[in-house]
Amino acid sequence: MKIILSIWVLLVGTPFLMAQSDSTIVLEEVVLTDVKLRQFSDGVKTTVLNDSVARRNQGTLTDNLRYNAPLFFKEYGYGMTSTVSFRGTSASQTAVVWNGININSPMSGQTDFNTLLSQTSNEVTIRSGGGSTQYGTGAIGGSIHLNTILEFNEHTTHELSLGYGAFDSRSLFYTGAIGKKQNALKIGVGYYASENDFKYLGTDRRNENGAFENLGLDVSYGLVLGKSNIIKVYNQTFFGDRNFSGTLTAPSNDNYRDANSRSLIEWANFKGKRVQRVKAAYLYERYRYYPNLSADEFSFGTSGTLFLNYDYKYQFKNFLINGITEFQNIDADGSSILSENRQLFTGILLISHAPSEQIRYGANIRKDWISSYESPFVFSVNGEYNVTDFHTISVLGSKNFRAPTFNDLYWEGAGAAGNNSLQPETALQGEIGQRFSFKNVQVQLNGYYIASSDLIQWRPDITGVWSPINVKDAMQLGFEADARWKKEIGPHHISLNAVYSYTKSTDVETSKQLLYVPFHTMRANIAYARGNWRAYVQSLYNGELYTTTDNTQDLPGYFVANFGLEYLFPKFFGMDTTAAVNVRNLGNTNYQTIAFRPMPNRHVNFQLNFKF
Amino acid sequence: MNIKNVIVAMATGFFFIACESDDNVEVLLPSGDYENGIFVTNEGPFNNGTGTVSFVSEDFSSSENSIYNKVNNADLGNIVQSMAFVGNRAYIIANVSNKITVVNRNTFEELATIESGLSNPRYFVEANGKGYVTNWGDSGDDSDDFVAVINLEINSIDATIFVDFGPEDILAQGSTVYVAHQGAFGYNNKISVIDADTDTVSDTIEVGLVPNSMQFDAAGDLWVLSAGRPAFSGEETAGTLQKVDLETNSVTTRFDFELTEHPNFLSLDGTTLYYSLDGAIFGLDVTASELPSESDFSGLSVYEMTTKDGVLYTTDAKDFASNGDLNVFSLSTKTELQSLEVGIIPGGIYFNE
Repeated sequence: MKIILSIWVLLVGTPFLMAQSDSTIVLEEVVLTDVKLRQFSDGVKTTVLNDSVARRNQGTLTDNLRYNAPLFFKEYGYGMTSTVSFRGTSASQTAVVWNGININSPMSGQTDFNTLLSQTSNEVTIRSGGGSTQYGTGAIGGSIHLNTILEFNEHTTHELSLGYGAFDSRSLFYTGAIGKKQNALKIGVGYYASENDFKYLGTDRRNENGAFENLGLDVSYGLVLGKSNIIKVYNQTFFGDRNFSGTLTAPSNDNYRDANSRSLIEWANFKGKRVQRVKAAYLYERYRYYPNLSADEFSFGTSGTLFLNYDYKYQFKNFLINGITEFQNIDADGSSILSENRQLFTGILLISHAPSEQIRYGANIRKDWISSYESPFVFSVNGEYNVTDFHTISVLGSKNFRAPTFNDLYWEGAGAAGNNSLQPETALQGEIGQRFSFKNVQVQLNGYYIASSDLIQWRPDITGVWSPINVKDAMQLGFEADARWKKEIGPHHISLNAVYSYTKSTDVETSKQLLYVPFHTMRANIAYARGNWRAYVQSLYNGELYTTTDNTQDLPGYFVANFGLEYLFPKFFGMDTTAAVNVRNLGNTNYQTIAFRPMPNRHVNFQLNFKF
Repeated sequence: MNIKNVIVAMATGFFFIACESDDNVEVLLPSGDYENGIFVTNEGPFNNGTGTVSFVSEDFSSSENSIYNKVNNADLGNIVQSMAFVGNRAYIIANVSNKITVVNRNTFEELATIESGLSNPRYFVEANGKGYVTNWGDSGDDSDDFVAVINLEINSIDATIFVDFGPEDILAQGSTVYVAHQGAFGYNNKISVIDADTDTVSDTIEVGLVPNSMQFDAAGDLWVLSAGRPAFSGEETAGTLQKVDLETNSVTTRFDFELTEHPNFLSLDGTTLYYSLDGAIFGLDVTASELPSESDFSGLSVYEMTTKDGVLYTTDAKDFASNGDLNVFSLSTKTELQSLEVGIIPGGIYFNE
């Protein structure tokens, strides 16, 4: 029965976060570092993707998220640079947050999802809508949260997963957790590599120069001191070595090597109704781009960000009040950025109030003081109301921003120059949500409107030099529907989920749909389990989108499906062993997420998972 | 266009421009009839995609996009840099694809492709019955730049002439070939003189920094327009316009622009030289003693410019992620005659007559 339960978690995958009780608050404070994600997001649409679902699409986070949430990935060839956008906004308007810290590159303002391995965090949360008050720059369309959970109880678990598949792809993922009442240690190792030389359907050519090799390491440790103090240390390190594949019209012999390291130390103190946290974090990133992989010449970029953060939270009757101050120092250097520095001081106030069982609401404000430009005052108000025990309505409004990046401000290179008079992009947004939860069925409906101003665009000036300017206004109007159903009929366990999104995202001046925003997307996953067998089908429909700003050229819509079959062997010396076969791109669809960059044809992967 | 830089930019994620080839073009002309009119080469989107060629009728009344794709049902390749004619053939250079497509200039049917021996090809000229193509080589290497010599009978590269870095514009007079070394991603200041009988560099002429365009005048002198180093280089220098006496290969006339002026697109119509500077078009007679202070046109968005028979042609690449325009003006009345939609990033204007 325990097996069946774990299968349920695996298959159903992404349950909605339920309203929390007081006991979970205490638990959250201990196991999580980014507690505000749960405590100050009343009414915000959040979806948790647990690590079991993550294992299904073993590889990078691109593979995992693509089939599970209404996010749009631009993947510059499979395994290559991959950026994500929410709700028709841009990749720079998506924040990626690791244990509460915004990890978007200060140079590009984005995160490459193919540098995040699926095993390197325990819990992935997709938070739709603006969140700048909490997470700062980039949290306009939404944010993706990677959280490490340290559990302080007696446990020892090891999970090892080995994969091999088409195009000589190899993977190894390991997670080990050891815990006692007073301390907890967690180690993660991820390795994912492939020759990635799939055939371009409809041609006699292959994906040349697309090989990649990624390695990620994670170590987290927590120590409980006395009755009221916890010290936690986290580190995540990634090394990537990728050739950048060519396109249908151009060969390539590029290579790109990057390294990211993130370290965080946190001291938390609990006393009565208050919690204090002091955090220090350092993020380091470096890339080297080799335009010719057989030559030694490369261009590079490197940045280091130091965070110092003090967080004080107080519970007063039904109010939860949280004040945060943060200092950041960012240094960046590179072939096209001459040793630049930025300093940032932030003040945040978060309030959540639950006057009754039915109503919860909150208000957040934030202001950054920064050395290089004027940062806007941002706010959010959010609330939810339980109309009945199965029906909840939520209403949200917020102002959010995206800061100019180091590239935007300081780039110096042939034919392009940064602009140090840029101002942040700002966006005002509103959202209404409805959630229906029954025993076997959950339905969530969200409608939103985003008005963004002063969008930063790179354009050539009169002398032909490319430079960024605050030039464009855009608006997004959209609708998302998410439905989940599960049923047990005798020995048969069936679960279904479907996510549909409609996105109108236009340039206010021309009324044309923005580049690479599909009007319609649909995801549908079905899973079935019986006894020791499990099977699933994942599918994604991505509608037609435009690839030119005048909407004269498009990329046709496509439908891709994956199939998986798993068998759980009887326990052997206390070890659970699962064998899995996955068929990706079942229909052998010829599709592209970026024009002229074909995605893999039908292929098969095998996996062996051990848990002991 | 500095392709590799743009790719780096893509790699670090701050351009969001891309495209693909399925065009929905207005069909206004019977396919395959391109005998009299204007070809516009369109680079196509930066990183992923194909360049195209548009055709504009002689009287500017109609245009047709993606004509090569339409006739041959294939793509020309990434970043269509330029095109040149030899007899009834046209040679179309795709820079990033390292490919030259040979077509019949009147029907646009493909005759051959040249795909080996090129590395970052830029411009083509015919001399002595052979084709000469400037190549940057590896953009990170200043010492592998060359001019490829093409055997036009069998469409393959016969010889490689190594030259100084950054060869760009190329012209020929008789059996002498002149190569302007604009300097690729750096800044160079030379004209290589190639003897097309021996296929060797016979002389090097020093000109202003960043020579971007050349013209022969009726007297047989070579005019060279150099942009100078741009502001972002940190060592800005003024543009120059120079006349080279090809008897002695020495500069006989030199005009200096202001420090912040970086002119481009030298063109000759009759005895008037035209160039583009900061969105304005200036003209001066080949006998002028100083640079003009008044422009003939201003406030234009110029991605490419040329003149012919009293008509000024400019292209507007707009936001570089949508179809551009070919704009046509009368040089005598200084009025706009026509504006036609062409392809993405229109970078070359050629006359088929």
